[in-house]
Amino acid sequence: MSLSSIMRLAGATALVGVSAFAVQAQTSGEPIKIGAIVSATGAGAGLGIPERNGMLLAEKTINAKGGINGRPIKLIVEDDASNPDTALSKANDLLFSQKVVALIGPSLTASTVAIGGVTHANKFPQIAFTGIGPAVEKERKCLAHILPPQKLNAQALLEYAKSIKATKIGVLHDAGYGNVVMAEIRLLAESYGVKLVAVEKFEVGATDTTTQAAKVKAAQPDAVFIIATSATPFRNVKQLQMTQPVVAAIGSSSYEYVNAMGPGADNVVIPEFVVGEDPLPHQKAFVDLYKQTYNSTPKNFEAAGWDAVHVMAQAIGKAGPNATPQAICDAMRGPYSGVLANFNFSADDMTGIPLSSFVFSKLVNGKYTRTPFRIAQ
Amino acid sequence: MTSRLFWIAVALAVWAVLPFVVPRNIADLLVFTGIYSIAGLGIGLLLGHCGIVNLAQATFYGLGAYASAYCTVMMGLPSAVGFVAGAVISMALAYVIGRPILRLTGYFLALGTLALSAIASALFFEWDWLTGGTLGIGGIPKLDLFGFVLDRPSRYYFFVWIVAFACMAVARNLVDSRTGLMLRAMRDSSTAAASLSIDLQGLRTRVFVVCALFGSLAGSLFAHHASFVSTQSFTVDRSISFLLIPVIGGATSIPGIVAGAVFVTFLPEFLSKLGDIHQILFGLALVAVVVMLPDGLMGAVGRIRAWHVARRGSDAG
Repeated sequence: MSLSSIMRLAGATALVGVSAFAVQAQTSGEPIKIGAIVSATGAGAGLGIPERNGMLLAEKTINAKGGINGRPIKLIVEDDASNPDTALSKANDLLFSQKVVALIGPSLTASTVAIGGVTHANKFPQIAFTGIGPAVEKERKCLAHILPPQKLNAQALLEYAKSIKATKIGVLHDAGYGNVVMAEIRLLAESYGVKLVAVEKFEVGATDTTTQAAKVKAAQPDAVFIIATSATPFRNVKQLQMTQPVVAAIGSSSYEYVNAMGPGADNVVIPEFVVGEDPLPHQKAFVDLYKQTYNSTPKNFEAAGWDAVHVMAQAIGKAGPNATPQAICDAMRGPYSGVLANFNFSADDMTGIPLSSFVFSKLVNGKYTRTPFRIAQ
Repeated sequence: MTSRLFWIAVALAVWAVLPFVVPRNIADLLVFTGIYSIAGLGIGLLLGHCGIVNLAQATFYGLGAYASAYCTVMMGLPSAVGFVAGAVISMALAYVIGRPILRLTGYFLALGTLALSAIASALFFEWDWLTGGTLGIGGIPKLDLFGFVLDRPSRYYFFVWIVAFACMAVARNLVDSRTGLMLRAMRDSSTAAASLSIDLQGLRTRVFVVCALFGSLAGSLFAHHASFVSTQSFTVDRSISFLLIPVIGGATSIPGIVAGAVFVTFLPEFLSKLGDIHQILFGLALVAVVVMLPDGLMGAVGRIRAWHVARRGSDAG
């Protein structure tokens, strides 16, 4: 953990005590250890760092409110450096050496698929910071997803395209979660009356996507979808002076990426959940606490970190202190009203977020404004 | 001699007990050490005995891993078929590519192997219908030896290290044979070797094919251990990690290869406990070893041993 994170956390500890959120309560006994894996370095750091901030804030808040049935929780956060091999090694360490009772993370889809092999084989409770992706994940019923399934992300993008009457769509997507969202868009495009005029793929963490962006520009689409966890394609689209509306999937919504987009961020529309500048009523308390603690505005991934820890803490509390991993899995599978959205972890997609949960925001001068467009229930 | 046998027996006893006394994540790293030792052994043969810098080992490592993943998950074939398919494809590719590029020498050859690694990495990424791309192929079964499933690091450890020891025996045999003499002659003076009718290109190609075989075996072992393979495991970065193994440990020494593999598997893991600066610390450690121990870790051991012998001799005098 960096020095600035430690200083912020020290601040968080003090602030939690005086915040409207916290009700001081004593915790005692052996801490309940929960493992967490995020991409704090590498290509996924723009996701992993805010997720870690949200989780650490949740840990402090839960402990200030009395922990789980009086016992404090202790988060052991590891960095997988955005690499699935490292993620797997960290998961083995947390599960079998550190003896954590549950696992939260990782940040990226490939790492989630890799770790799922271990947690699924051991019926171990896990909440991933990814939406359900490849087919192999459908049978992993101890693996809940705190972010929307990729089909929902695809639907949200297409709903917005329909609302602005864009029928010719160009897509720039990465080879990670962008690939899965793209596969869903291909299946849904016709039903939305949309024609995909150019679809260009690039590697996760690519530092230049100008060639791909130029091909999309040449196809003269009505709108451009960018599905990635990166700022690079946004910069390249701007450099090529493309004037079409840009609609981006949630993966690029964190401020870490937005700040790196520079002028490329202007007028980008993102279907997402938390607009820190203008939160929904049920998100306000979290947003205020986060701002007080970290002196910055939270977004979706901070809220995902916060929600994941609360969902897991609630499941452990419900299953009891000496519950088996399977019992915690069973306790996790149910409805939960979170900051990000209303979940139902007993749904087939292990998330249960309705499409109407999305809010649509527009970036203006590096800040988000919530647009009036919503998808009807 | 008796003392040497005693130390070999102690080392064997420690090796046999180790996976049962260390935590599971350390046993996991010991498995990776075995896998990396096999891949690094091939690089060590090329570097230490032929003077060739091979930056393409991740290609053969990837071919072995994808062959195992595809044969077992997509085609439902036994694991052994994946091992054999990976080895055959890797050796054939090494022969076909090796014949033309091994005409090069020095930096040009290193760049040639780097190009091979970059091309393979791009193909692994683009051919996602075959490799699964960045999302990879999951659900690769654990190895099953006559009903005994190697589903824990403490079990897989023995299998991996027995394969590693077998590869070390092959490498030792090659180095001690007439071929080994020719290799050293070629490394030290290729002109003199050629004047003795040694087929330099054929010799280099043979060692390159052996190196590819070791890389492929390591890749197949990795796939069955991780149960998941994706392009991120077979990038140029991984080729550089493999090259570091003989550079750090000592290219001509088999224990040096193991020491190098321990360095590249254990050190990043321990440094990661120190926070987000762990990658910088690993880089600094690497620079320190290369600058302070130019002959590698085993070179330093040799120097300490020579110093002890000299000191004992002067004391006796």
